[in-house]
Amino acid sequence: MLAIQTNKLCKYYGKHLGIKNVSLEIKQGEIFGFIGPNGAGKSTTIKTLLGLLIPTSGSTYIFGQDISKYGDKIRKKIGYLPSEVNYYNEMSSQELLEYHCRFYGINDYSEIKRLAELFKLDLDKKITDLSFGNKKKCAIIQSVIHKPKLLILDELTSGLDPLMQNIFFELLDEENKKGMTIFFSSHILSEIQRMCDRAAVIRNGEITAIEDIQSLLKKQMKKARLVFNQKPEQLEYPEGVQHQHWHNNKLTFEYVGSIDNLIQWMSNLDLLDAALEEPDLESIFMNYYQR
Amino acid sequence: MNRNLYTKELKRNRMNLWIWSAIVIGLTVLVMSIFPYMRNVGTEMANMMKSMPEGITKAMGLDAQTWNSILGLYNTYYGIYIIVLIGIFASSTGATIISKEERDGTAEFLLTKPISRKNIFNTKILTLFTLTIIVYAIQTITAFIGIIIFGESDINWSTFITMHINGLILIVFFTCLGVILSMFIQPKKNFMGMVVGIVFGSYFLNAIAKAADTVSWIGYISPFHYLDFTVSDPNYSVNYLTVGIMLLTSILLLLVSFKVYEKKDISS
Repeated sequence: MLAIQTNKLCKYYGKHLGIKNVSLEIKQGEIFGFIGPNGAGKSTTIKTLLGLLIPTSGSTYIFGQDISKYGDKIRKKIGYLPSEVNYYNEMSSQELLEYHCRFYGINDYSEIKRLAELFKLDLDKKITDLSFGNKKKCAIIQSVIHKPKLLILDELTSGLDPLMQNIFFELLDEENKKGMTIFFSSHILSEIQRMCDRAAVIRNGEITAIEDIQSLLKKQMKKARLVFNQKPEQLEYPEGVQHQHWHNNKLTFEYVGSIDNLIQWMSNLDLLDAALEEPDLESIFMNYYQR
Repeated sequence: MNRNLYTKELKRNRMNLWIWSAIVIGLTVLVMSIFPYMRNVGTEMANMMKSMPEGITKAMGLDAQTWNSILGLYNTYYGIYIIVLIGIFASSTGATIISKEERDGTAEFLLTKPISRKNIFNTKILTLFTLTIIVYAIQTITAFIGIIIFGESDINWSTFITMHINGLILIVFFTCLGVILSMFIQPKKNFMGMVVGIVFGSYFLNAIAKAADTVSWIGYISPFHYLDFTVSDPNYSVNYLTVGIMLLTSILLLLVSFKVYEKKDISS
Protein backbone atom coordinates (compact mmCIF):
# COMPACT_ATOMS: atom_id res chain seq x y z
CA MET A 1 0.00 0.00 0.00
CA LEU A 2 1.32 3.42 -0.98
CA ALA A 3 1.36 6.30 1.45
CA ILE A 4 0.29 8.78 -1.23
CA GLN A 5 -1.00 8.05 -4.70
CA THR A 6 -2.37 10.71 -6.99
CA ASN A 7 -3.74 9.99 -10.43
CA LYS A 8 -3.63 12.76 -13.01
CA LEU A 9 -4.58 15.41 -10.52
CA CYS A 10 -5.72 18.65 -12.17
CA LYS A 11 -6.76 21.88 -10.59
CA TYR A 12 -7.90 24.95 -12.45
CA TYR A 13 -8.87 28.19 -10.75
CA GLY A 14 -11.40 29.29 -13.30
CA LYS A 15 -9.28 29.38 -16.44
CA HIS A 16 -6.03 29.79 -14.58
CA LEU A 17 -4.00 26.58 -14.28
CA GLY A 18 -3.01 25.43 -10.83
CA ILE A 19 -1.68 21.94 -11.52
CA LYS A 20 -2.06 19.54 -14.43
CA ASN A 21 -1.75 15.75 -14.57
CA VAL A 22 0.14 15.43 -11.31
CA SER A 23 0.71 11.72 -10.69
CA LEU A 24 2.77 10.80 -7.67
CA GLU A 25 3.47 7.55 -5.91
CA ILE A 26 5.08 7.80 -2.53
CA LYS A 27 5.98 4.67 -0.61
CA GLN A 28 5.46 4.25 3.10
CA GLY A 29 8.47 5.25 5.15
CA GLU A 30 9.91 7.33 2.33
CA ILE A 31 11.09 10.92 2.60
CA PHE A 32 9.90 12.54 -0.58
CA GLY A 33 10.82 16.04 -1.68
CA PHE A 34 8.78 18.30 -3.86
CA ILE A 35 10.76 21.07 -5.44
CA GLY A 36 9.91 23.92 -7.74
CA PRO A 37 9.98 27.69 -7.96
CA ASN A 38 7.37 29.88 -6.30
CA GLY A 39 3.99 29.54 -7.91
CA ALA A 40 4.82 26.26 -9.65
CA GLY A 41 1.98 24.39 -7.95
CA LYS A 42 3.60 22.94 -4.83
CA SER A 43 1.09 24.36 -2.39
CA THR A 44 -1.81 23.62 -4.73
CA THR A 45 -0.78 19.96 -4.84
CA ILE A 46 -0.39 19.78 -1.07
CA LYS A 47 -3.73 21.48 -0.43
CA THR A 48 -5.42 19.05 -2.78
CA LEU A 49 -3.86 16.12 -0.91
CA LEU A 50 -5.34 17.45 2.31
CA GLY A 51 -8.78 18.09 0.86
CA LEU A 52 -8.58 21.87 1.23
CA LEU A 53 -8.91 22.24 -2.52
CA ILE A 54 -11.34 20.19 -4.54
CA PRO A 55 -9.53 18.93 -7.69
CA THR A 56 -11.02 19.69 -11.09
CA SER A 57 -10.23 16.10 -12.08
CA GLY A 58 -8.13 13.20 -10.90
CA SER A 59 -8.04 11.37 -7.61
CA THR A 60 -5.94 11.09 -4.49
CA TYR A 61 -5.48 8.03 -2.32
CA ILE A 62 -3.71 8.20 1.00
CA PHE A 63 -2.93 4.88 2.65
CA GLY A 64 -5.22 3.34 0.07
CA GLN A 65 -8.25 5.45 0.91
CA ASP A 66 -9.92 8.02 -1.33
CA ILE A 67 -9.42 11.48 0.19
CA SER A 68 -12.65 12.82 -1.31
CA LYS A 69 -14.66 10.17 0.56
CA TYR A 70 -12.77 9.44 3.74
CA GLY A 71 -11.02 12.76 4.29
CA ASP A 72 -11.80 13.00 7.99
CA LYS A 73 -10.57 9.48 8.75
CA ILE A 74 -7.43 9.87 6.66
CA ARG A 75 -6.53 13.20 8.23
CA LYS A 76 -6.29 11.47 11.58
CA LYS A 77 -3.07 9.93 10.26
CA ILE A 78 -1.70 13.13 8.71
CA GLY A 79 0.33 15.93 10.22
CA TYR A 80 0.51 19.18 8.26
CA LEU A 81 2.88 22.10 8.51
CA PRO A 82 1.58 25.06 6.51
CA SER A 83 3.94 27.47 4.78
CA GLU A 84 2.12 30.44 6.24
CA VAL A 85 0.97 30.00 9.79
CA ASN A 86 -2.45 31.51 10.54
CA TYR A 87 -3.79 30.58 13.95
CA TYR A 88 -6.41 31.93 16.31
CA ASN A 89 -4.80 35.13 17.57
CA GLU A 90 -6.69 35.21 20.84
CA MET A 91 -5.38 31.80 21.91
CA SER A 92 -2.07 31.02 23.55
CA SER A 93 0.15 28.31 22.02
CA GLN A 94 -0.81 26.04 24.90
CA GLU A 95 -4.53 26.54 24.23
CA LEU A 96 -4.09 26.09 20.51
CA LEU A 97 -2.11 22.87 20.90
CA GLU A 98 -4.61 21.48 23.41
CA TYR A 99 -7.44 22.37 21.03
CA HIS A 100 -5.51 20.58 18.28
CA CYS A 101 -4.94 17.48 20.43
CA ARG A 102 -8.61 17.13 21.35
CA PHE A 103 -9.48 16.69 17.66
CA TYR A 104 -7.37 13.52 17.78
CA GLY A 105 -8.84 12.35 21.07
CA ILE A 106 -5.62 13.14 22.95
CA ASN A 107 -6.24 14.36 26.48
CA ASP A 108 -2.75 13.93 27.84
CA TYR A 109 -0.97 17.22 27.20
CA SER A 110 2.47 16.28 28.56
CA GLU A 111 3.90 15.90 25.06
CA ILE A 112 3.15 19.59 24.36
CA LYS A 113 5.50 20.59 27.14
CA ARG A 114 8.27 18.24 26.00
CA LEU A 115 8.19 19.52 22.42
CA ALA A 116 7.92 23.14 23.51
CA GLU A 117 11.07 22.69 25.57
CA LEU A 118 12.81 21.07 22.62
CA PHE A 119 11.95 23.98 20.33
CA LYS A 120 12.19 26.64 23.05
CA LEU A 121 8.66 27.92 22.56
CA ASP A 122 6.95 30.01 25.24
CA LEU A 123 3.56 28.30 25.52
CA ASP A 124 1.82 31.04 27.49
CA LYS A 125 2.25 33.78 24.91
CA LYS A 126 -0.74 34.62 22.75
CA ILE A 127 -0.39 33.65 19.08
CA THR A 128 -0.76 37.28 18.09
CA ASP A 129 2.35 38.18 20.13
CA LEU A 130 4.53 35.47 18.56
CA SER A 131 7.16 36.27 15.96
CA PHE A 132 7.04 34.59 12.57
CA GLY A 133 9.64 32.01 13.63
CA ASN A 134 7.86 31.24 16.89
CA LYS A 135 4.56 30.76 15.09
CA LYS A 136 6.37 28.31 12.86
CA LYS A 137 7.63 26.42 15.92
CA CYS A 138 4.09 26.21 17.24
CA ALA A 139 3.00 24.90 13.84
CA ILE A 140 5.80 22.31 13.85
CA ILE A 141 4.73 20.98 17.24
CA GLN A 142 1.14 20.91 16.01
CA SER A 143 2.19 18.88 12.97
CA VAL A 144 3.94 16.08 14.85
CA ILE A 145 2.33 15.92 18.29
CA HIS A 146 -0.38 13.42 17.38
CA LYS A 147 2.22 11.00 15.95
CA PRO A 148 0.98 11.04 12.36
CA LYS A 149 1.94 8.27 9.97
CA LEU A 150 2.30 10.80 7.17
CA LEU A 151 3.79 14.23 7.63
CA ILE A 152 3.18 16.87 4.97
CA LEU A 153 5.41 19.91 5.17
CA ASP A 154 4.96 22.98 3.02
CA GLU A 155 8.18 25.07 2.90
CA LEU A 156 9.47 23.41 6.02
CA THR A 157 12.25 25.67 7.17
CA SER A 158 11.07 29.10 6.10
CA GLY A 159 11.33 31.38 9.12
CA LEU A 160 13.42 28.99 11.23
CA ASP A 161 16.93 29.84 12.34
CA PRO A 162 19.64 27.26 11.50
CA LEU A 163 19.74 25.96 15.08
CA MET A 164 16.03 25.20 15.03
CA GLN A 165 16.31 23.77 11.53
CA ASN A 166 18.81 21.26 12.88
CA ILE A 167 16.61 20.31 15.80
CA PHE A 168 13.72 19.91 13.39
CA PHE A 169 15.71 17.78 10.94
CA GLU A 170 16.88 15.55 13.77
CA LEU A 171 13.30 15.13 14.93
CA LEU A 172 12.24 14.26 11.39
CA ASP A 173 15.07 11.72 11.09
CA GLU A 174 14.05 10.11 14.34
CA GLU A 175 10.37 9.93 13.41
CA ASN A 176 11.21 8.65 9.94
CA LYS A 177 13.22 5.81 11.46
CA LYS A 178 10.11 4.88 13.44
CA GLY A 179 8.23 4.62 10.15
CA MET A 180 6.81 8.06 9.46
CA THR A 181 6.41 8.95 5.79
CA ILE A 182 7.45 12.52 5.04
CA PHE A 183 6.39 14.56 2.06
CA PHE A 184 7.78 18.03 1.85
CA SER A 185 7.95 20.88 -0.56
CA SER A 186 10.79 23.31 -0.77
CA HIS A 187 12.52 25.61 -3.15
CA ILE A 188 15.81 25.08 -1.37
CA LEU A 189 17.76 22.30 -3.04
CA SER A 190 20.11 21.68 -0.13
CA GLU A 191 17.16 20.85 2.12
CA ILE A 192 15.99 18.29 -0.39
CA GLN A 193 19.52 16.88 -0.72
CA ARG A 194 19.90 16.58 2.99
CA MET A 195 16.65 14.81 3.72
CA CYS A 196 15.18 13.04 0.75
CA ASP A 197 15.31 9.66 -0.88
CA ARG A 198 13.47 10.85 -3.94
CA ALA A 199 12.18 14.16 -5.20
CA ALA A 200 9.77 15.43 -7.81
CA VAL A 201 10.32 18.65 -9.67
CA ILE A 202 7.27 20.69 -10.53
CA ARG A 203 7.22 23.53 -13.00
CA ASN A 204 4.27 25.54 -14.31
CA GLY A 205 1.87 23.13 -12.66
CA GLU A 206 3.33 19.97 -14.18
CA ILE A 207 5.74 17.38 -12.83
CA THR A 208 8.83 17.59 -15.02
CA ALA A 209 10.92 14.92 -13.31
CA ILE A 210 10.86 12.45 -10.48
CA GLU A 211 14.40 11.57 -9.46
CA ASP A 212 16.20 9.81 -6.75
CA ILE A 213 18.55 12.20 -5.07
CA GLN A 214 21.69 10.47 -6.32
CA SER A 215 20.83 11.24 -9.90
CA LEU A 216 19.77 14.74 -8.96
CA LEU A 217 23.24 15.22 -7.56
CA LYS A 218 24.77 13.86 -10.75
CA LYS A 219 22.78 16.35 -12.70
CA GLN A 220 23.78 19.09 -10.43
CA MET A 221 25.80 21.83 -11.96
CA LYS A 222 29.31 22.75 -10.88
CA LYS A 223 31.17 25.92 -11.59
CA ALA A 224 34.76 25.29 -12.74
CA ARG A 225 37.59 27.78 -12.77
CA LEU A 226 40.80 26.64 -14.47
CA VAL A 227 44.05 28.53 -14.78
CA PHE A 228 46.26 27.28 -17.62
CA ASN A 229 50.02 27.64 -17.77
CA GLN A 230 49.48 28.73 -21.30
CA LYS A 231 46.31 29.28 -23.14
CA PRO A 232 45.85 26.24 -25.43
CA GLU A 233 45.28 27.00 -29.07
CA GLN A 234 42.61 24.42 -29.38
CA LEU A 235 40.59 22.80 -26.66
CA GLU A 236 37.92 20.16 -26.88
CA TYR A 237 35.37 20.40 -24.14
CA PRO A 238 33.74 17.32 -22.65
CA GLU A 239 30.00 16.96 -22.88
CA GLY A 240 28.13 19.03 -20.30
CA VAL A 241 30.26 22.13 -20.44
CA GLN A 242 28.41 25.35 -21.04
CA HIS A 243 28.86 29.10 -20.79
CA GLN A 244 32.63 28.88 -21.16
CA HIS A 245 34.43 32.16 -20.80
CA TRP A 246 38.10 32.97 -21.36
CA HIS A 247 39.98 35.70 -19.62
CA ASN A 248 43.65 35.63 -20.63
CA ASN A 249 44.73 32.17 -19.56
CA LYS A 250 41.81 31.66 -17.19
CA LEU A 251 38.81 29.61 -18.19
CA THR A 252 35.51 29.53 -16.35
CA PHE A 253 32.56 27.37 -17.28
CA GLU A 254 29.53 25.57 -15.88
CA TYR A 255 29.45 21.82 -15.92
CA VAL A 256 26.58 19.39 -15.67
CA GLY A 257 27.46 15.71 -15.76
CA SER A 258 29.65 13.10 -14.18
CA ILE A 259 32.42 14.50 -12.03
CA ASP A 260 34.63 11.56 -12.93
CA ASN A 261 34.57 12.48 -16.63
CA LEU A 262 35.43 16.05 -15.84
CA ILE A 263 38.41 15.13 -13.70
CA GLN A 264 39.75 12.74 -16.32
CA TRP A 265 39.51 15.48 -18.91
CA MET A 266 41.21 17.95 -16.59
CA SER A 267 44.06 15.55 -15.88
CA ASN A 268 45.17 15.84 -19.50
CA LEU A 269 45.41 19.59 -19.34
CA ASP A 270 48.40 21.70 -18.50
CA LEU A 271 46.98 23.46 -15.46
CA LEU A 272 48.37 25.91 -12.95
CA ASP A 273 45.32 25.96 -10.72
CA ALA A 274 41.81 24.54 -10.67
CA ALA A 275 38.72 25.06 -8.57
CA LEU A 276 35.34 23.40 -8.64
CA GLU A 277 32.62 25.32 -6.90
CA GLU A 278 29.05 24.75 -5.85
CA PRO A 279 27.13 27.31 -7.77
CA ASP A 280 24.80 29.53 -5.80
CA LEU A 281 21.33 28.09 -5.43
CA GLU A 282 19.85 30.42 -7.94
CA SER A 283 21.98 29.15 -10.78
CA ILE A 284 21.20 25.53 -9.92
CA PHE A 285 17.64 26.47 -10.01
CA MET A 286 17.77 28.25 -13.30
CA ASN A 287 19.76 25.42 -14.76
CA TYR A 288 17.54 22.66 -13.52
CA TYR A 289 14.23 24.23 -14.30
CA GLN A 290 15.19 25.42 -17.73
CA ARG A 291 16.09 22.02 -19.03
CA MET B 1 -21.46 17.46 16.17
CA ASN B 2 -17.92 17.98 17.38
CA ARG B 3 -17.82 18.99 21.04
CA ASN B 4 -14.32 20.38 20.85
CA LEU B 5 -15.27 22.78 18.06
CA TYR B 6 -18.62 23.61 19.65
CA THR B 7 -17.14 24.68 22.98
CA LYS B 8 -14.43 26.70 21.29
CA GLU B 9 -16.94 28.51 19.09
CA LEU B 10 -19.18 29.36 22.05
CA LYS B 11 -16.20 30.67 23.96
CA ARG B 12 -15.04 32.68 21.00
CA ASN B 13 -18.42 34.39 20.58
CA ARG B 14 -19.33 34.92 24.21
CA MET B 15 -18.27 38.58 24.37
CA ASN B 16 -20.54 39.41 21.46
CA LEU B 17 -23.30 37.39 23.03
CA TRP B 18 -23.18 39.30 26.32
CA ILE B 19 -22.96 42.69 24.64
CA TRP B 20 -26.00 42.07 22.45
CA SER B 21 -27.93 40.47 25.29
CA ALA B 22 -27.23 43.52 27.45
CA ILE B 23 -28.49 45.84 24.70
CA VAL B 24 -31.80 44.02 24.19
CA ILE B 25 -32.32 43.50 27.93
CA GLY B 26 -31.70 47.20 28.54
CA LEU B 27 -34.12 48.23 25.82
CA THR B 28 -36.81 45.83 27.03
CA VAL B 29 -36.49 47.02 30.63
CA LEU B 30 -36.61 50.64 29.48
CA VAL B 31 -39.80 50.12 27.47
CA MET B 32 -41.50 48.21 30.26
CA SER B 33 -40.59 50.72 32.93
CA ILE B 34 -41.99 53.72 31.04
CA PHE B 35 -45.39 52.06 30.67
CA PRO B 36 -46.91 53.34 33.96
CA TYR B 37 -45.97 56.87 32.89
CA MET B 38 -47.22 56.41 29.31
CA ARG B 39 -50.61 55.18 30.45
CA ASN B 40 -51.19 58.42 32.34
CA VAL B 41 -50.32 60.59 29.38
CA GLY B 42 -52.12 58.27 26.94
CA THR B 43 -54.93 60.68 26.03
CA GLU B 44 -52.57 63.56 25.45
CA MET B 45 -50.44 61.30 23.30
CA ALA B 46 -53.45 60.18 21.30
CA ASN B 47 -54.32 63.80 20.55
CA MET B 48 -50.78 64.56 19.53
CA MET B 49 -50.65 61.58 17.21
CA LYS B 50 -53.86 62.61 15.51
CA SER B 51 -52.00 65.66 14.28
CA MET B 52 -49.35 63.44 12.65
CA PRO B 53 -49.84 62.24 9.06
CA GLU B 54 -51.65 58.94 9.04
CA GLY B 55 -49.00 57.30 6.87
CA ILE B 56 -46.28 57.88 9.41
CA THR B 57 -48.22 56.50 12.36
CA LYS B 58 -49.11 53.45 10.30
CA ALA B 59 -45.58 52.93 9.10
CA MET B 60 -44.14 53.12 12.58
CA GLY B 61 -46.86 50.99 14.06
CA LEU B 62 -47.80 53.82 16.38
CA ASP B 63 -51.25 53.55 17.80
CA ALA B 64 -51.85 55.56 20.96
CA GLN B 65 -55.00 53.59 21.70
CA THR B 66 -52.98 50.45 22.16
CA TRP B 67 -50.69 52.20 24.60
CA ASN B 68 -53.37 51.77 27.22
CA SER B 69 -52.04 48.25 27.45
CA ILE B 70 -48.42 47.36 28.19
CA LEU B 71 -48.46 44.90 25.29
CA GLY B 72 -49.45 47.68 22.92
CA LEU B 73 -46.58 49.85 24.02
CA TYR B 74 -44.12 46.96 24.15
CA ASN B 75 -45.16 45.84 20.67
CA THR B 76 -44.31 49.25 19.19
CA TYR B 77 -40.72 48.73 20.29
CA TYR B 78 -40.56 44.98 19.84
CA GLY B 79 -41.44 45.05 16.16
CA ILE B 80 -39.14 47.93 15.34
CA TYR B 81 -36.11 47.81 17.58
CA ILE B 82 -35.83 44.54 19.43
CA ILE B 83 -36.44 42.16 16.56
CA VAL B 84 -34.32 44.24 14.22
CA LEU B 85 -31.50 44.30 16.78
CA ILE B 86 -31.61 40.57 17.48
CA GLY B 87 -31.99 40.03 13.72
CA ILE B 88 -28.78 42.00 13.12
CA PHE B 89 -26.95 40.02 15.80
CA ALA B 90 -28.22 36.70 14.41
CA SER B 91 -27.52 37.60 10.82
CA SER B 92 -24.03 38.99 11.41
CA THR B 93 -23.07 36.00 13.56
CA GLY B 94 -24.45 33.73 10.84
CA ALA B 95 -22.43 35.54 8.20
CA THR B 96 -19.17 35.34 10.13
CA ILE B 97 -19.27 32.04 12.01
CA ILE B 98 -17.95 30.07 9.03
CA SER B 99 -16.39 32.81 6.92
CA LYS B 100 -14.27 34.23 9.76
CA GLU B 101 -12.10 31.12 9.60
CA GLU B 102 -11.43 31.81 5.94
CA ARG B 103 -10.86 35.51 6.45
CA ASP B 104 -8.33 34.89 9.22
CA GLY B 105 -6.71 31.96 7.41
CA THR B 106 -7.55 29.60 10.27
CA ALA B 107 -9.76 27.52 7.96
CA GLU B 108 -6.57 25.78 6.87
CA PHE B 109 -5.95 24.74 10.48
CA LEU B 110 -9.51 23.55 11.04
CA LEU B 111 -9.99 21.73 7.76
CA THR B 112 -6.80 19.71 8.07
CA LYS B 113 -8.11 18.17 11.29
CA PRO B 114 -9.83 14.76 11.26
CA ILE B 115 -13.28 16.26 10.90
CA SER B 116 -15.50 16.30 7.84
CA ARG B 117 -16.85 19.50 6.32
CA LYS B 118 -20.34 18.27 7.07
CA ASN B 119 -19.46 17.94 10.73
CA ILE B 120 -17.84 21.39 10.78
CA PHE B 121 -20.89 22.93 9.13
CA ASN B 122 -23.36 21.22 11.46
CA THR B 123 -21.38 22.11 14.55
CA LYS B 124 -21.04 25.74 13.49
CA ILE B 125 -24.76 26.00 12.74
CA LEU B 126 -25.56 24.45 16.10
CA THR B 127 -23.33 27.01 17.81
CA LEU B 128 -24.99 29.75 15.82
CA PHE B 129 -28.47 28.74 16.89
CA THR B 130 -27.35 28.26 20.47
CA LEU B 131 -26.15 31.87 20.46
CA THR B 132 -29.22 33.39 18.82
CA ILE B 133 -31.63 31.36 20.92
CA ILE B 134 -29.82 32.47 24.08
CA VAL B 135 -30.26 36.15 23.15
CA TYR B 136 -33.85 35.53 22.12
CA ALA B 137 -34.67 33.59 25.28
CA ILE B 138 -33.05 36.13 27.59
CA GLN B 139 -35.05 38.91 25.94
CA THR B 140 -38.32 36.95 26.12
CA ILE B 141 -37.81 36.17 29.79
CA THR B 142 -36.98 39.82 30.52
CA ALA B 143 -40.12 40.94 28.69
CA PHE B 144 -42.23 38.40 30.55
CA ILE B 145 -40.95 39.55 33.92
CA GLY B 146 -41.30 43.21 32.90
CA ILE B 147 -44.94 42.74 31.92
CA ILE B 148 -45.69 41.07 35.22
CA ILE B 149 -44.03 43.88 37.18
CA PHE B 150 -45.19 46.94 35.22
CA GLY B 151 -48.25 45.73 33.29
CA GLU B 152 -51.94 45.79 34.02
CA SER B 153 -53.57 42.76 35.60
CA ASP B 154 -55.45 41.36 32.58
CA ILE B 155 -52.73 40.67 30.04
CA ASN B 156 -53.65 38.93 26.80
CA TRP B 157 -50.85 36.35 26.91
CA SER B 158 -51.77 34.76 23.61
CA THR B 159 -50.93 38.06 21.90
CA PHE B 160 -47.58 38.05 23.69
CA ILE B 161 -46.92 34.48 22.56
CA THR B 162 -47.88 35.25 18.96
CA MET B 163 -45.55 38.25 18.92
CA HIS B 164 -42.68 36.20 20.21
CA ILE B 165 -43.30 33.26 17.88
CA ASN B 166 -43.31 35.65 14.91
CA GLY B 167 -40.17 37.25 16.31
CA LEU B 168 -38.45 33.89 16.68
CA ILE B 169 -39.22 32.86 13.12
CA LEU B 170 -37.90 36.17 11.80
CA ILE B 171 -34.71 35.70 13.79
CA VAL B 172 -34.27 32.14 12.48
CA PHE B 173 -34.79 33.42 8.96
CA PHE B 174 -32.23 36.23 9.35
CA THR B 175 -29.75 33.80 10.89
CA CYS B 176 -29.94 31.52 7.85
CA LEU B 177 -29.82 34.50 5.51
CA GLY B 178 -26.53 35.52 7.13
CA VAL B 179 -25.08 32.05 6.58
CA ILE B 180 -25.94 31.91 2.89
CA LEU B 181 -24.62 35.45 2.33
CA SER B 182 -21.22 34.39 3.61
CA MET B 183 -21.15 31.48 1.15
CA PHE B 184 -21.53 33.66 -1.91
CA ILE B 185 -19.62 36.75 -0.90
CA GLN B 186 -15.84 37.05 -0.59
CA PRO B 187 -14.81 36.24 2.97
CA LYS B 188 -12.59 39.32 3.02
CA LYS B 189 -15.70 41.49 3.19
CA ASN B 190 -16.99 42.96 6.41
CA PHE B 191 -20.53 41.69 6.67
CA MET B 192 -21.81 44.03 9.36
CA GLY B 193 -22.80 46.87 7.02
CA MET B 194 -24.49 44.51 4.60
CA VAL B 195 -26.40 42.74 7.35
CA VAL B 196 -27.61 45.96 8.98
CA GLY B 197 -28.73 47.13 5.56
CA ILE B 198 -30.68 43.97 4.81
CA VAL B 199 -32.42 43.66 8.17
CA PHE B 200 -33.23 47.35 8.51
CA GLY B 201 -34.03 47.59 4.81
CA SER B 202 -36.57 44.79 4.93
CA TYR B 203 -38.16 46.39 7.97
CA PHE B 204 -38.47 49.73 6.20
CA LEU B 205 -39.82 48.17 3.01
CA ASN B 206 -42.65 46.76 5.03
CA ALA B 207 -43.14 50.09 6.84
CA ILE B 208 -43.37 51.98 3.55
CA ALA B 209 -45.77 49.41 2.16
CA LYS B 210 -48.01 49.85 5.18
CA ALA B 211 -47.89 53.64 4.98
CA ALA B 212 -49.04 54.03 1.39
CA ASP B 213 -51.51 51.73 -0.33
CA THR B 214 -50.18 52.51 -3.80
CA VAL B 215 -46.85 50.87 -3.01
CA SER B 216 -48.20 48.11 -0.78
CA TRP B 217 -46.77 45.52 -3.19
CA ILE B 218 -43.18 46.19 -2.09
CA GLY B 219 -44.10 44.75 1.30
CA TYR B 220 -44.29 41.32 -0.29
CA ILE B 221 -40.51 41.07 -0.55
CA SER B 222 -40.05 41.75 3.16
CA PRO B 223 -40.28 38.93 5.70
CA PHE B 224 -41.78 41.49 8.10
CA HIS B 225 -44.85 41.52 5.88
CA TYR B 226 -45.53 37.86 6.54
CA LEU B 227 -44.72 37.84 10.24
CA ASP B 228 -46.17 41.07 11.49
CA PHE B 229 -46.80 42.80 14.79
CA THR B 230 -50.22 44.38 14.33
CA VAL B 231 -51.46 43.50 17.79
CA SER B 232 -54.31 46.00 17.52
CA ASP B 233 -55.94 43.62 15.04
CA PRO B 234 -58.49 41.61 17.04
CA ASN B 235 -57.71 38.52 14.94
CA TYR B 236 -53.98 38.76 15.62
CA SER B 237 -52.75 35.17 15.99
CA VAL B 238 -50.10 32.80 14.74
CA ASN B 239 -50.40 32.01 11.04
CA TYR B 240 -49.06 28.48 11.00
CA LEU B 241 -48.84 28.33 7.21
CA THR B 242 -46.58 31.39 7.12
CA VAL B 243 -44.51 30.05 9.99
CA GLY B 244 -44.14 26.73 8.16
CA ILE B 245 -43.14 28.37 4.88
CA MET B 246 -40.60 30.64 6.58
CA LEU B 247 -39.06 27.70 8.42
CA LEU B 248 -38.87 25.66 5.23
CA THR B 249 -37.25 28.58 3.43
CA SER B 250 -34.71 28.86 6.25
CA ILE B 251 -33.87 25.16 6.04
CA LEU B 252 -33.51 25.49 2.29
CA LEU B 253 -31.07 28.40 2.74
CA LEU B 254 -28.99 26.22 5.06
CA LEU B 255 -29.05 23.28 2.66
CA VAL B 256 -27.84 25.41 -0.23
CA SER B 257 -25.16 26.90 2.04
CA PHE B 258 -23.97 23.43 2.96
CA LYS B 259 -23.80 22.32 -0.67
CA VAL B 260 -21.66 25.36 -1.45
CA TYR B 261 -19.43 24.84 1.59
CA GLU B 262 -18.91 21.15 0.83
CA LYS B 263 -17.33 21.92 -2.55
CA LYS B 264 -15.59 25.13 -1.65
CA ASP B 265 -11.87 25.68 -2.18
CA ILE B 266 -10.19 26.78 1.01
CA SER B 267 -7.13 28.86 0.26
CA SER B 268 -5.41 31.26 2.57
